[in-house]
Amino acid sequence: MGRRERTDRTPDAHLPLPPATFQILLSLADGERHGYAIMREVADRTNGEMRLGPGTLYGTLKRLLEAGIVEEGRERVDPDVGDERRRYYRLTKFGLSVARAEARRLAGMVRAAQQKRLIRAEPA
Amino acid sequence: MSAPERVYALLLRAYPSEFREAYGREMLQLFRDQRREVGVRGMRFWSAILWDVARSAPALQLDSFRGQWGVDIQTGGAMMKVMAVLAVVVGALEILNTLVETFAGGLAGRSGGSLLALALAVLAPALLLLSGVALLVRPRRTATLARGAALICLVVFAAIATLQPIFSVASTVLGIGFPIVLLLFLFRKPRGGQSTSTAA
Repeated sequence: MGRRERTDRTPDAHLPLPPATFQILLSLADGERHGYAIMREVADRTNGEMRLGPGTLYGTLKRLLEAGIVEEGRERVDPDVGDERRRYYRLTKFGLSVARAEARRLAGMVRAAQQKRLIRAEPA
Repeated sequence: MSAPERVYALLLRAYPSEFREAYGREMLQLFRDQRREVGVRGMRFWSAILWDVARSAPALQLDSFRGQWGVDIQTGGAMMKVMAVLAVVVGALEILNTLVETFAGGLAGRSGGSLLALALAVLAPALLLLSGVALLVRPRRTATLARGAALICLVVFAAIATLQPIFSVASTVLGIGFPIVLLLFLFRKPRGGQSTSTAA
């Protein structure tokens, strides 16, 4: 866990998050992943609409590491992908609160759009 | 390394060196992974890669530049450059002013004290100018020289203003004021507790 920096800022100070950043946080919400696994999950979730390139993905991860939102996990081989060692990334406790705050913000916007009848409420 | 990987390794040079050191291997790995995927070959794949580099590299270069500028500010590096340039400008202005004063009034009929004042009013700013150049080239080793030049300039212009007031108020204020500012800067203690002569 070499590169990790702490931050004293509140989660709200990081909002709103750019779409690519929120997608990365969503990918890490249920456990640590390496870069390719993050890229694949984002592409699958968005039906291929968002395909993160190496520069965008690692540029964003660098900023998230510096902000203390993400931290590095153990480097290891992912047998599903190949025999190369891969660096894993995971959300910090602070990162989880940033992701939750952004999700709440987006949910509030969806509610507002529903009230304005721009979209229909999904059946529960 | 395959030919496409070599091309991508070349494209990675668009990113800041410290970013490449930290993430270059993983980026190349991800590039390889993406190439292995079905349907990401050919023009479409390469245009996506080029677009990714064009979009992310300038932002990261800017981040890197901002970070470097921040370090420079903390260690006094950026301010040192500003002070060095000011020393050159003030030195040159004072020399020019003395030469104008000399040619305007002529040398004939001047007292010995006035001639000495004119000579010192060229030598002291010349020293200031040289110390400014030295600060720009080797800031770590020439802070002592700059302190000496500022002190000499301050004493010379204060003495001329008191004993032989031949210069304008603006020239005198600049000749006394700037050396004081430079001395305060060179003797200050920056945020790490180090003196400027070792931290700059």
